[in-house]
Amino acid sequence: MTTKKVTKRTLPKTAAKKGSKLFSEAAVAQIKDEQTEWEESVLKEYPKKKPETRAEFRTGSGDIAVKEIYTPADIPDFDYSKNIGLAGQYPFTRGIYPNGWRSHEWPLQYYSGFGTTEDTNKRFKELLAQGASNVTVACDLPTQIGYDSDDSMAAGEVGKVGVAICSLDDLERLYEGLPVDRVSGTGNLNCLGPIALAFCYVLGEKRGVRPSDMQVGFQNDPFKEYTGRGTFSFPPRVALALAIDVVEFCSKNLPRWWPQHVCTTQMRWGGCTAAEEVAFGLANLVTYLDADVERGIKLGELVPKMHLHMTADNDLFEEAAKFRATRRLWAKIATKRYETKDPRVVGLRITNYTGAHRMTAQQPMNNIVRSTMHTLACMLGGVDAIMNPAYDEALALPTVESTRLAALTRRILHYESGTANTVDPLAGSYYVESLTDQIQEQAQKYFDEIEAMGGALAAIESGYYLKAMADGMVKYQREVESEERIIVGVNKDVLPEEVPVKIFMGNPEAEKKQIANVKKLRAKRDKALVKEALAKVRAAAEEKMVKPTYNTVPVLLEATRAYCTIGEIRKVWLDVFGEYKPLTYY
Amino acid sequence: MAKRIRVLMAKPGLDGHETGAKLIARVLRDAGMEVIYTGMRQSPEMIVAAAIDEDVDVIGLSTLSGSHKEHASRVIDLLKQKGADNIVVLSGGVIPKEDYAALQSLGVKGVFGPGTSTRVIIDFIKSSVVSNN
Repeated sequence: MTTKKVTKRTLPKTAAKKGSKLFSEAAVAQIKDEQTEWEESVLKEYPKKKPETRAEFRTGSGDIAVKEIYTPADIPDFDYSKNIGLAGQYPFTRGIYPNGWRSHEWPLQYYSGFGTTEDTNKRFKELLAQGASNVTVACDLPTQIGYDSDDSMAAGEVGKVGVAICSLDDLERLYEGLPVDRVSGTGNLNCLGPIALAFCYVLGEKRGVRPSDMQVGFQNDPFKEYTGRGTFSFPPRVALALAIDVVEFCSKNLPRWWPQHVCTTQMRWGGCTAAEEVAFGLANLVTYLDADVERGIKLGELVPKMHLHMTADNDLFEEAAKFRATRRLWAKIATKRYETKDPRVVGLRITNYTGAHRMTAQQPMNNIVRSTMHTLACMLGGVDAIMNPAYDEALALPTVESTRLAALTRRILHYESGTANTVDPLAGSYYVESLTDQIQEQAQKYFDEIEAMGGALAAIESGYYLKAMADGMVKYQREVESEERIIVGVNKDVLPEEVPVKIFMGNPEAEKKQIANVKKLRAKRDKALVKEALAKVRAAAEEKMVKPTYNTVPVLLEATRAYCTIGEIRKVWLDVFGEYKPLTYY
Repeated sequence: MAKRIRVLMAKPGLDGHETGAKLIARVLRDAGMEVIYTGMRQSPEMIVAAAIDEDVDVIGLSTLSGSHKEHASRVIDLLKQKGADNIVVLSGGVIPKEDYAALQSLGVKGVFGPGTSTRVIIDFIKSSVVSNN
């Protein structure tokens, strides 16, 4: 036997990457042959004896048919390095952290608020005493939209879905005896981002904490409001400019603050498919980032502080594949669009608020199982922070017990199930890799469609997003009512009489109390200071109409210190920016 | 030929989650009814004015924010004031079972929460409007 002598000349100086295609053509051909024989002799006969339970098996979103079996013949060109690679590097399919969740813990964190500031202060202290790492403030609808508690439009709504915050005065009372260095910035004031920033900033000042030392996070995603949530006031272009004011101010003055995260939750909950969820989210994200770039904000410093906030639906493998497809598609889009290989820009963090839309009113305890499914999909899919709705989501605001159980869902899975011990454990599954490819392909198609029509703003203004959601919702409802789609407790395993569940009933006195608070504030304020501050808010808004990149935050800091109310500021803005009258599609 | 049933789907108050209201609007329209959807952020005054203007048989109120009793009460009071209390008022959305009786005693004819079959809602409307006429 001769061995070939290996010399320096026979080895190339730098070995070219050959790729790591897993399956040879011969192997795939053989598997295909075996499969064809199996389909004809074994598979075809089986349903004759035992009919399948459905006419068609499809993924939860309905747009991908699911076969009986998946083999390498379904992903014949699968190339490990090119298609998925390793974790923490391009194309980020397997996740953005090299070691997955081994250095990670899912914190006990909550989104909470109701009634008066005293009610919420008490609830926050209870949650923190039980070990919560932080609590995001849920504000009531008047606050989220920008009505003071005593506005006629606020009647019946004050303190219902969250706490009423009309001014800094309320925020100060909310944080009495609570640390302000870890404030989760007044939750969903999505269309009033600069006001939310100003309130948190001045709260710090009042408590003797340097705002730049605080760690504050905002959602600040106005597009969310035009696509299924409804707290908008001004035209989308104005809302975008206001949101970027927050991002710009933070990037220049408050580097520890996380100024924005982009949501797909409301669109999926409103009826769109998994692939649409991916596409719509990324289309919104590029619109925001393009606007950031326009103001000179460095994406490498910004994007690590942002995340795509998605939801998790019922189909475990479709959802896990969706998250993988999202990261891989973003890596592809961002590399090209922003001409960068910077992993800070190209590696997208995904967070989650799991399937609130799948929480049934019937037999609500079943929802604990559903939340577990959703959370498992997130962990398998490489999702970062996870928030869960409580099992009584369809009935009322959560109780302390139901919200704690929701938060423990992810802790139990993390500590007890072993799911998070290794990176992307589903990788290599013929089914999951096939799903990942298919979802990405569809999402790319929708993303390109949105680009072609002019981007996210055009998709909002034309009703494109709303149409996708409404059509999806009608289809879903038809499937449920025809029992094509089974929901346990709703159209199967129905109880003739529901077992009552203890639910949270709120504070019926909150509205009266809060109206009195606001009136008291207005009486004791320096009226001249308020008038002057609001005049400056108006002047800044007028300047912004001429130059959309004009930053409204500085005058709002002054207005906040003067105890101007959200309602007063919004009235000025409405006067200058105008009110948005959306198309209705159903 | 029977006159088509006219329904006003409305979102009183500030909740902006329209998915349910829009779904019902579409389903009722597909079932042959004439449906007007007011959009979100309607005051009870706006809803009653629209209902009278549009000469509807039914008002469907959709709320997810917990303000269902306050708004139903105000709508029904206004309908009485304006002599239009033959209009059937229905409620839907996130409404605890504990409040169903209270709504019905206010004058709401039917409460249809999440998971209700749309067939049930269609049949209820058809029988309510017939009995009214």
